[in-house]
Amino acid sequence: MEALFYIFSIIAIFSALMVILVKNPLTSALYIILCFFALAGFYILLNMQFLAAMQILVYAGAIIVLIVLVIMLLNLAKAKDTIKDFHQLAVGVISVLLLFAEVILYLNTAGESKPTDIYTNAVINKIGNTQIIGQFLFTKYVFPFEVASILLLVAVIGAYIFAKK
Amino acid sequence: MNVNVNDYLAVASIIFCIGALGVLIRKNLITIFLSLELMFNAANLGFVAVSEYLNLMSGDIFVIFIMVVAAAEAAILLGIAIAFYREKGTINIDKANELKM
Repeated sequence: MEALFYIFSIIAIFSALMVILVKNPLTSALYIILCFFALAGFYILLNMQFLAAMQILVYAGAIIVLIVLVIMLLNLAKAKDTIKDFHQLAVGVISVLLLFAEVILYLNTAGESKPTDIYTNAVINKIGNTQIIGQFLFTKYVFPFEVASILLLVAVIGAYIFAKK
Repeated sequence: MNVNVNDYLAVASIIFCIGALGVLIRKNLITIFLSLELMFNAANLGFVAVSEYLNLMSGDIFVIFIMVVAAAEAAILLGIAIAFYREKGTINIDKANELKM
């Protein structure tokens, strides 16, 4: 399990770096699919097989295909983008390093919270991974679930209005 | 050497910082959007890791809602990209300068 964790970490970080470093947006889109597969591997290691399937179906299957379609539609594969602006690069790198230092500092100094024993792996595996998420979605989280459906409807209408001539 | 929740959170923070760096240094609208997706996914990984560590389900449910928001955002942003390209003939965000003094 540890070996798998390190393999997935290396793949995820490498492909994330390639997403922001390559010039061609189409290559970026292909590398981000690799990153999503590595993250799906993490979800399986964390015993959430349903989320791993959703990750591959929704992200790699739907969103990235949509992006590749737009790149193709706008003929952007030739639109090379070079990182030339030195000030932008300097400000970006320094602020991201600060952000990373803050996060790591927080991870090292945060107080330990004890794990509960409500939904342990044994309980989740007994009920079933998909079934327990379904139960939560339709009981405790039913209002956010309905709001999410309204949000998707608004997004579809908004995208149509934006793209309409 | 056992993998614990802090290792997952460290990987998530590295991916989040890479995504933030991509948003800050790139000028291509599509690449910026892909970096945003990286940040979403890093947040998802953090949610799932903490949820597994605390033996709760709330984080896993939140990941589903984050995926819904990301899908809505993808639809909106690609509509904007098409409108922007039609207006300017490029998707370089430096060309979005109508509000410049």
